[in-house]
Amino acid sequence: MRSWLKMIKELTIRPKGERKLRQPPSYSFDEDMNKPLSGVKVKEILSASSDVVFRDFFLQGKESIPCLLVVVDGMVDKTQLDQFILKPLMVDFAGHPEVAQLTLANVVDRTLQRLLPGLELKKVFKMGEVLDAILSGDAVIFFGDSIEALVFGARGWDKRAVTEPPTEAVVKGPHEGFGETLRINTSLLRRKIKHPSLRMISLKLGSLTNTDLVVTYMDKIASPDIVSEVLRRLNSINMDSALGNGYIEEMIEDNPYSPFPQVAYTERPDVLAGKLLEGKIGIILDGTPIVVVVPATLTQFLNVNEDYYERPLAVILFRFVRYLGAFVALLAPSIYIAVTTFHQEIIPTDLLMNISAGREGVPFPALLEAIIMMVVLEILQEAGLRLPKPIGQTMGIVGALVIGDAAVKAGLVSPLMVIIVGLTAVSNYSIPYYDLSLAVRIIRFPLMILAGVLGFFGVSVGIYVIAIHLLSLRSFGVPYLSPISPLRIRALLQDTFVRVPRWALKRRPQLIDVKEPRSGGKGKR
Amino acid sequence: MERISTHQFMTLGSAVLMGVTFLPIASNVTGACGRDGWMAVLPGFAIGIPYGLMVLSLLEKYPQKNLLQISETLFGKWIGKIIGCIYILISSYFGGLLLAQLGDVFQRSIMPLTPRWLFCVGGLLLVLYLVSAGIEVFARFSEVVFPVIVIALCLNIALSIPRIEQGELLPILSGGLKPLFFGVLKVMPFSMSYIFILAGILAFLPADKQELGQMKTGVWRAVFLVGILDTLVALMQILVFGPAETIRLVYGLLVLGKMVEISRTVSGIESLFMGVWLGAWIIKISAFLFAAIWGLESVFGLTGLKWKFAVGTVFLGITFGFVRGPSLIREIGLMEDYVILPFTSVWILTLWAVSRWKKGAGS
Repeated sequence: MRSWLKMIKELTIRPKGERKLRQPPSYSFDEDMNKPLSGVKVKEILSASSDVVFRDFFLQGKESIPCLLVVVDGMVDKTQLDQFILKPLMVDFAGHPEVAQLTLANVVDRTLQRLLPGLELKKVFKMGEVLDAILSGDAVIFFGDSIEALVFGARGWDKRAVTEPPTEAVVKGPHEGFGETLRINTSLLRRKIKHPSLRMISLKLGSLTNTDLVVTYMDKIASPDIVSEVLRRLNSINMDSALGNGYIEEMIEDNPYSPFPQVAYTERPDVLAGKLLEGKIGIILDGTPIVVVVPATLTQFLNVNEDYYERPLAVILFRFVRYLGAFVALLAPSIYIAVTTFHQEIIPTDLLMNISAGREGVPFPALLEAIIMMVVLEILQEAGLRLPKPIGQTMGIVGALVIGDAAVKAGLVSPLMVIIVGLTAVSNYSIPYYDLSLAVRIIRFPLMILAGVLGFFGVSVGIYVIAIHLLSLRSFGVPYLSPISPLRIRALLQDTFVRVPRWALKRRPQLIDVKEPRSGGKGKR
Repeated sequence: MERISTHQFMTLGSAVLMGVTFLPIASNVTGACGRDGWMAVLPGFAIGIPYGLMVLSLLEKYPQKNLLQISETLFGKWIGKIIGCIYILISSYFGGLLLAQLGDVFQRSIMPLTPRWLFCVGGLLLVLYLVSAGIEVFARFSEVVFPVIVIALCLNIALSIPRIEQGELLPILSGGLKPLFFGVLKVMPFSMSYIFILAGILAFLPADKQELGQMKTGVWRAVFLVGILDTLVALMQILVFGPAETIRLVYGLLVLGKMVEISRTVSGIESLFMGVWLGAWIIKISAFLFAAIWGLESVFGLTGLKWKFAVGTVFLGITFGFVRGPSLIREIGLMEDYVILPFTSVWILTLWAVSRWKKGAGS
């Protein structure tokens, strides 16, 4: 019994302090990682990996010093290797005056300082550093029994071109998106903000995957407290792998059991740059095009980047539609259930007659009818998501038209229910962030049950529970419902439900502790 | 320790002061002073201003202490503890009565076939969830819900305008000014229940000079906002129903909600209004549950979630143990008129006077 309780506790309660997850097994070479370098030992450790290439050669004119080049096949730029490493060392050094003075003791320093060109060239001493460099795609050159080696940055592998992210397409605005390579992503960001206050702090995550990660923020704009809290939480993660943003999101968010997303994400450099300029912090993980942005507030999940490329009046309309869509997606089925079950007096008489006629012969109560249809909708959505695009579309048509029509004709559901389900599904797509639309989908079911049992009283209770939950949520110390509560009137009027013209955006959002006013639009009319 | 901002103090104060006063106020004041009852509402609420300022002046002198702790300091340990026990008993009993009222009103007005205990348990769970989230979340909840209550009230009043019969208000002051005094007495308990809660919230308020000034303004604003809104509610009911019917309809606003009709299409939307009034009930009941918790903490040093649930259980016991309908309304009235009003007014006044006297004696 105790072991069961322990297991349940482990599975349900997130530990405080250091967050330890799956730890790697211990290896025979673990102890060597901090020891002085040895080319033979490196070869011994990596010889079982067929993708690692060991190339033995001699320095031209100095055959007494044997050299060993170690790279991972497919992760290095072979042209660079040939041109800037092998050719100079094996061919061009012939007759070079420096070569005659090379000894095992000075070969690394002299090669680094006088013989080899290359921007990314550095000396290393430790086994751990060398293995990390090789497995990250750098080339490492060992010289005889020297306890030093040279690391040459020649990373090069096939990568996806910079394309527009399909989930954040815009009509107006830049069309570039992040890719899977960290350095390309940081360079895309740097091209947007060419200012020394853009900070990038590198970390590594995952003791087996050694995934590179960059925490980026604007100095003196981002709150130092939030920056240090982000770094503290990231440093407290102790797990063996970090293969995507999802691995870190759940580890750093404040409330892991909330259906609401507490970190935002983007695949677009312009969006990330905009968020950083508002005082937020980006977490760029190698191997994923999705950049995590913290802290997050509810209202930002209903605003999109295109809001800043369109005219303010159009943005007011778009945002109103999105907020309305979210409201309908959350409440339409439960209001339908409450009205048809308990509060028919609200419905105008003519409509009530139509509804009654439509429901005639339907064997289920409104609650069951709605739940059946919503479950069918969820199945269709899930099936359509995983199928290839053309088949997915067919599935949608089959599901929506054929099954819906057949269900009405068979008398299983009423026509109005099909309309409600369709409206709910369409409204759900008006929520721009997938994570928030998922939250709405999850919450809809308990609300429907409350409506079926207690009518509008139940719906009201559900709404108040959601409100209390949202009010108690925080993302990295920032209240989740900010600027609605705690009330920040300027932020609310400036860029929350509406967006004022750019020349009126004189201050940064007061969501977080930002220190300097925005001066971009000063004086413009 | 948790803290609430000055703006949250104002909205929380307004929400607690308003509570569900908009339901019985018209009946109360009209019963005391006839068709001129609406004139007694604002002066009745205004009694809360000097008391609110007295409480804030005590905060200035004893920061981060609630009035129970201040009572122990000024009156001595045992008298302070006796006051604390009375405070706990009043808040527990009145909170339970309000919970019973919630269930009773919901069952009677919109869902007569649903058992009353379902509403009470639903309301209590909501209250417990809010209270367990802490005073900060409670303040933010009020910050979000109170404007919705105000909007719903204004809508309810505005949509009733077509049913106004102007003659119902005339002649004005036909009975002279004396009946207004009795009307004011009927409204005063509402202000005193606000002061009663304020006595406990005190420990969570900022105490520096600038913020104290803002909070004093907050008391004025809260009283005037709620006073004006309730005046409008009373006025509208007198105008629509006439004085006799207003006295008879204890929860006249619910009837007004039932009568709302827009373009002969939208009608019967009282259940939507009830959803908003539920928020008002939750705030008021939570405030009394908080008061009981603060009392237990100050007098007996009892803290933690289990005591919140214990007080919740007491609430539920009072709710189910009590008779319904007119008896419940009478009991709430008796509690307000003969317990909360005298206890709070005498306690705060004495405390403030002793504090001033000791300050004078000390200097």
